[in-house]
Amino acid sequence: MTLPSLLKPDPTLDLVLERVIDVPPELVWAAWTKPEHLSKWFCPAPWKVVDCEIDLRPGGMFRTVMRSPEGKDFPNTGCYLEIVPNKRLVWTDALLPGYRPAADPFFTAIVTLEPRGTGTRYIAMGMHRDEAGRKRHEEMGFHQGWGTALDQLVAHAKTM
Amino acid sequence: MARAAESMDGVFRALSDPTRRRVLERLSKSPASVSELAEPFDMALPSFVQHLRVLEGSGLVHSRKTGRVRTYQLAPKRLRLAENWLARQRDFWERRLNQLDAYLLELKEKRR
Repeated sequence: MTLPSLLKPDPTLDLVLERVIDVPPELVWAAWTKPEHLSKWFCPAPWKVVDCEIDLRPGGMFRTVMRSPEGKDFPNTGCYLEIVPNKRLVWTDALLPGYRPAADPFFTAIVTLEPRGTGTRYIAMGMHRDEAGRKRHEEMGFHQGWGTALDQLVAHAKTM
Repeated sequence: MARAAESMDGVFRALSDPTRRRVLERLSKSPASVSELAEPFDMALPSFVQHLRVLEGSGLVHSRKTGRVRTYQLAPKRLRLAENWLARQRDFWERRLNQLDAYLLELKEKRR
């Protein structure tokens, strides 16, 4: 399986992860598109998904609320761009539901699935905004818990 | 790629604990002996030494023994890796997909 030709990963900004799992595409698709499933795995522990809203149509809402181990909530709202059941799912936070432009866009994600034997091969690709956008996202993002300590350490390490 | 993610896992695990973060902050000022590091903490020494082992295992610090005194210091190279934004994003996605795969296999079992 190759990515559609218009997708050109930039190695400094984008991630492409590929997995093969012995689970049929329909189940993998359900895990990505049903809140009751997505909440179970979408956020790496010890962070948790505490709320999830999915309106599975182009322009429809994809919203998650992630809770840090310290109990702080971080909402993420975006919308779906492309939905091809059991094959491809594309969403972004650059557009809000109904395609309204977002104030602080950061990423677009593309998940591609294809059957492989009794299982599925899937590729998850994340395309990110430039450096400045990334830094801001990071400040509100997942490493908040230890971000300050790390920043101090890194600042110090640079002087070593 | 998998190895990079694993080593990042170690770094994030090391940083996930407040005691270890305080030790790192202390070490960012200067190298220190085990007893100097342990002093501010109300913790049995063997438990504290466990924290130091986790830190050293993650590659964030290293230690040297001179006579009977073991001295710890920061390892700046690993910190720069932790600072690398894309490495963190990759680590995040790797862990997310590991959870997805584990969850899918569990779902599949249940449907049998």
